[in-house]
Amino acid sequence: MDLSTLYLIFGDANQDRRAKAIKNILDGRRTVSNLYWGLEYGLLPYFGALHDFDLGDEQAAVDTLNKAGLATVSDGLLYRLSSRGVDQQKKLQASITPLNELATVAQYDIVRFSRRFIFAVQVVSEYSYSNNRYYPQTIGFFDDQLIKRWFIQNKQRNLSGYFHQLLQQFLSGLENDQLADIFAASLTGHGFSGLTEDQLAVQTDLEPTIIQLNWLKLYSRLFLRLKKDPETPLQLLLTGLIKPLMSGSAKQTFDLFVSARQPDPATIAQLRKIKLTTVYEHLIEAAIELPLDQFPYQRLLHEPTLTNLRQAAPVNVGEWQFKAAKAQITDLQFFEFRLFQISERKKGDND
Amino acid sequence: MIDLTAELHRYSGFDSFRPGQREVLENLFAGRDTLAILPTGGGKTLLYQLYGAITHQRVIIVSPLISLMQDQVSRLQYLGSKRVVAITSAMDFQERAAILRNLNHYQYIYVSPEMLSNRNIFEMIARQSIGLFVIDEAHCISEWGPDFRPDYLRLGKIRHQLENPLTLMMTATATQRTRDDILNRMGFTATDVKQLVLPTNRSNIFLSAKICANQPEKNEQLETLVKELNGAGIIYFSSKKQTEQIAAMLSQKTDKRVMAYHGGMDNQRRFLIQQQFMNGDIDIVCATSAFGMGIDKENVRYVIHYHLPDNIQSYVQEIGRCGRDQQPSLAILLYEPNDQYLQQNLIANTIPEEQLLRYFYQHPDQLQNNDAFRVIKYYYDIGKTVDQTLAIFDQAKSRRIGELNALIQYIYTTGCRRKLLLQHFDETAEHVDPEFCCDFHTDFWGNWRQFNQQYLKPSETDQGVQSTDWRQIIDKLFLLKN
Repeated sequence: MDLSTLYLIFGDANQDRRAKAIKNILDGRRTVSNLYWGLEYGLLPYFGALHDFDLGDEQAAVDTLNKAGLATVSDGLLYRLSSRGVDQQKKLQASITPLNELATVAQYDIVRFSRRFIFAVQVVSEYSYSNNRYYPQTIGFFDDQLIKRWFIQNKQRNLSGYFHQLLQQFLSGLENDQLADIFAASLTGHGFSGLTEDQLAVQTDLEPTIIQLNWLKLYSRLFLRLKKDPETPLQLLLTGLIKPLMSGSAKQTFDLFVSARQPDPATIAQLRKIKLTTVYEHLIEAAIELPLDQFPYQRLLHEPTLTNLRQAAPVNVGEWQFKAAKAQITDLQFFEFRLFQISERKKGDND
Repeated sequence: MIDLTAELHRYSGFDSFRPGQREVLENLFAGRDTLAILPTGGGKTLLYQLYGAITHQRVIIVSPLISLMQDQVSRLQYLGSKRVVAITSAMDFQERAAILRNLNHYQYIYVSPEMLSNRNIFEMIARQSIGLFVIDEAHCISEWGPDFRPDYLRLGKIRHQLENPLTLMMTATATQRTRDDILNRMGFTATDVKQLVLPTNRSNIFLSAKICANQPEKNEQLETLVKELNGAGIIYFSSKKQTEQIAAMLSQKTDKRVMAYHGGMDNQRRFLIQQQFMNGDIDIVCATSAFGMGIDKENVRYVIHYHLPDNIQSYVQEIGRCGRDQQPSLAILLYEPNDQYLQQNLIANTIPEEQLLRYFYQHPDQLQNNDAFRVIKYYYDIGKTVDQTLAIFDQAKSRRIGELNALIQYIYTTGCRRKLLLQHFDETAEHVDPEFCCDFHTDFWGNWRQFNQQYLKPSETDQGVQSTDWRQIIDKLFLLKN
């Protein structure tokens, strides 16, 4: 995907945004820092949504925007959209509306679902023509097996009729022929090869990245539709696609922290044989990912630190630097500082 | 006595064998280990597929082409076999473990020589009953072959440890020296093994080469050719980046439908481009040598080399992808003097330098689990001194430079190109038609447009334009039964 296009879509005219962090957020690189900036920029719902794509180099992407007068760039690869950039952003966003459907891609492995679906279409399409001499796709050993098993279990069920009807209803329901054509071009089967995003881009006069984002959006919609249908013969294709909210290790730490005995971070470090700083990182990750009322901030932010933080905090807590805070509250720990920022940000969102 | 023609029809739908196929199968059914040199497109896959299908026995195929192994699996599935799997280093641990646990479910098992050298994997394979042991691209066994792989040297021993199953060694091109070396390395004597060597010559492929002054002139020449040449074509490059650049250039400047293809692309994209090419939805593929294995397109009319391949053997293999339908086809090699330096650099990059070699000899622990340096590890493990290994590498480098020079000689030759190519394989061309041989006998470059009109027939099946309307697409995809 073209990173400069993504920077336009996910940039802002009123906030300098860290190009590196945005790339890492979309790629789903789970560090406390990336998660924090995801929260701060309102991009947490898209965390890891574009993990399966090659996103390219951030410096080159920011330079492209800068040269085209679409963004200003400051040290540390911070960028802010210009008014022309905002115009361009609106155009791009209009071609992938509504953007928030991409959040489904962060919750479920939609790319994997799309590969399974496209492969299933190929198998059913060839079967409907009674053709067994064709090159099957390969989507990884386990999913190849899954499709095989699914097909054996379901091939008596008039699958070609089912797929035809499903796609007929789904695509006409889009009420947008261009989007429906874009979706159909992702398929492949008997006598029809499908198109790559750049071939489709030439035909539709859209950018390849916009085509790919539209595919993700449409497959998300199809996935959610199928998930609601207990009768679909595609049940097996929907399994094992949930993306965990937290990393496994962070979840273990958090579960221990809120367990009946309520151990403190030092005890958890001992129990889990991990560093204390790692325990803190896990807890920050949990605080970022969970709603405000599901994280016990009061067990970690004590008085008088909390009052001191409230008194010293600037209006824009998100941009507050730890160094500045530490100058005012000398015994402040980074962990407390970050947790305070997270809770304030979440309170703001709830208001 | 098995009726091989009937079995061929039963399992593949074909009515007759391609040259050499029947003889190879007869040898295998007579229990004779066989070395088969069959040209590209000669139907090597079908040999072991059919043997497995008829005997219901397990077939192990050792193949060096890790990145293409999945294509081979697809190809075998395409030919009708379903219980096929590949074990490669490209798989993650869980995938590999799952396959090894269920190995007995598979009839055709592809494995790279590196994987077979892994103790655990070897033991799992050794537990299976093996009906046929196939060594694909067998020229890799030979240090005289262009693609020497040290793990291939262990195959002789491995075969012995597998209790000497019936063995089929195959390659598209091998000189006499390479053939002798293959047998020797596998622990065979010449009398143990039935050898079947089919002529390398493909008389329906016209050979030509053009020396351009520089790259812009070469691009111009390519553009002119592509604009007018009839039918489907493949253009080969040694750089992934340039497949994309030139594909973009040709798409822009000609009305041909051109796509790039290389091993750095994801599976789905590679799959789509192969499908489109086979269905005739695109005219030309700009590709690295990764392209070819997964396609079964009979009517490719021309192959153009924009860059030099490694050597004459590779060149012959690659041009062999045109004219599988036996219709007149064209091979063009475009060359500009800087091309040889590009190729020399590629050769230099694949052979470790002295400094690196000495470093590893001082720190042998770093050779463990490092696939990039398996060749060094091989010589270190068999007790070669650093100077001996260095001498081997120098020799390998000189040999590859020598092979490259032979190819350049082919370009600059003022004689018959076919004669020169065939000499390389100790063959002579019989019944050469001077009207349709190479640009030595006729003024091809003065009359190539006429040649194009006369010989290169546009395909009738390759002119369909795919619908872009979603309703038509889903109607086409699913044949509904009333």
